[in-house]
Amino acid sequence: MTRPPLDTLPRTPQDTGADRDAAPGARRRRRFDPLPYLLVSPLALFIVALALVPAVFTIVESFFRVDALDPPTRFIGLGNFRSLLHSAAVRTAAGNTMLYVLIGVALSTVLGIVMAITLQHRFAGRSVLIAVLILPWALPGVVEGIVWSGIWDANSGLLNSVLTSLHLIDHYQTFLGHGRLETIALIELVQVWQITPLSALLVLASLQNIPHDLYEAAKLDGCSSWAAFRRVTLPLVRPGIAVAMVQAVIATLNVFDQPYVLNGAASTGSSVMAQTYFISFQNLDFGAGYALSLLVTAATLVLSFLVVKFVHRTVEF
Amino acid sequence: MSLRVFRRVRVRWLGIAFILLWSLVPIYWTINTSLQSEAQAGSKPAHYLPPTPTVRNYSTLLGGSGEVSGQIRQSTANIFVECGAATLVTVVLSTLAAYAFARMTFRGRTALFYGVLATMAFPAYTTLIPLYRILGDFGLVNTYTGIVLVYVSGFLPLATWIMYNYLLTLPPAIEEAGLVDGASRLQVLRHVLLPLALPGIVSATVITFLFSWTQFLFPLVLSTDQSTEPLTVVIAALQGQHVVPSTLLSAAGVITIAVPAVIAVALNRYIVSGLVSGSVK
Repeated sequence: MTRPPLDTLPRTPQDTGADRDAAPGARRRRRFDPLPYLLVSPLALFIVALALVPAVFTIVESFFRVDALDPPTRFIGLGNFRSLLHSAAVRTAAGNTMLYVLIGVALSTVLGIVMAITLQHRFAGRSVLIAVLILPWALPGVVEGIVWSGIWDANSGLLNSVLTSLHLIDHYQTFLGHGRLETIALIELVQVWQITPLSALLVLASLQNIPHDLYEAAKLDGCSSWAAFRRVTLPLVRPGIAVAMVQAVIATLNVFDQPYVLNGAASTGSSVMAQTYFISFQNLDFGAGYALSLLVTAATLVLSFLVVKFVHRTVEF
Repeated sequence: MSLRVFRRVRVRWLGIAFILLWSLVPIYWTINTSLQSEAQAGSKPAHYLPPTPTVRNYSTLLGGSGEVSGQIRQSTANIFVECGAATLVTVVLSTLAAYAFARMTFRGRTALFYGVLATMAFPAYTTLIPLYRILGDFGLVNTYTGIVLVYVSGFLPLATWIMYNYLLTLPPAIEEAGLVDGASRLQVLRHVLLPLALPGIVSATVITFLFSWTQFLFPLVLSTDQSTEPLTVVIAALQGQHVVPSTLLSAAGVITIAVPAVIAVALNRYIVSGLVSGSVK
């Protein structure tokens, strides 16, 4: 079952006229057919009113001072962007978010590939394993924060208990909020738990497109399994890896739920989205919030584009 | 040769063990904590099995008369209403639109189709602040309607994409037969295409429902009191107060993940096919 590529929408056979003429009354509808417009208009209305218009708002109002505590709204050019650049909290959050993205994209991609390869060939219980694999993807990020706080906890956490029992540490440690890098890595691990299943599924879908003959040929040529993985598998799953990395970039650059639960309002692990939330809905400085979400959006689009440019390769069998 | 097969199988077992531990240990640990008393959960080293399993945390949350249990019950009702309504509207509208995109030609079709798809490349939070202010202008902040409208606008593109891809896999010949027999296109959609497209509809429904259930930042902003707050917002607030014991919090966590966990495990086939549909060209 092959699907046509995106850029060639199929012509529809029942619109060629021949079928139409067979239906009574078809000749009248031939001139202007309102049906497709009726079918797509609710979708179009939603997208225009609740995605396009708000997006334009974000762009335009990021150049205005929009502050519930300091009316009226007035044009200030790049003022919002300048104040963001000078804010220490925003700069810290930007640095933190870079770490979230680096750790999250790298780890979810590697783990996703490992999981996909585990599931590449059929074996008994494979479908059960896929069900287990998906589980973390389906759960709310805030609850995942609570679930993992039971593992990181300084007084009753699983990690402390296991490490003490193994005599790797002699007394319970505080893991979260201790060092900046450690805190960010542990919080990001929770998000990786959530986004890796999708990465694995996307890579797996790509893996299953690889014809088996290629492995046969590699084996005949005397390839070791590692060589076959590096020279056959990896190059051919690049489309899947690219899509997986793009979803990871979008999720990690916009990370909010996990730091909200595990980091609170502390600056240690604060993310850019957390800053956007505090600026807009606690300080009620909407203008600066618009500017910051515009910057996050721009960063997301640029980074996604770079991933597609450098990782994606069109593969044809 | 046999050594290689042996090695491959052994590596696969490592992978299988990793997936099982990775997915299940954190969830097991939360369930384990939720079945213990506060004193037991605080013991060092921890109890890896509840010594005297108790459902007291659950009965306190679901049957109690305190403030916390009232919040949990109200927010459970809220999350079902919001996710159910958003899913219903999303699936109906996306199916209609996908039918038009997959089977009809009309002016503006390509532009609209790519316009809708393009919104998926943007992070959802881009529109958080303007949506809050626009809904505020219409008096829709802190209403079910406001939250449902935002969810629908967010999930329509993916649902349309899933339905579109599914409809393309169905042979048009069946519908043509119906049209030749004199049925209208809406009749063909209802009586011929929809039954055949059921797996695609299930995919779109399950994925939309799960995405709505996991929402946090949007309802955090769009709900201003308990009348509309979903479970996710309430549980984060409980955690933030630092007075709710970890055992009770774990039970609340288990309640919140029970529904999506059961759906994900039971309907995983539809989730997989929906999520990867058209993703790998």
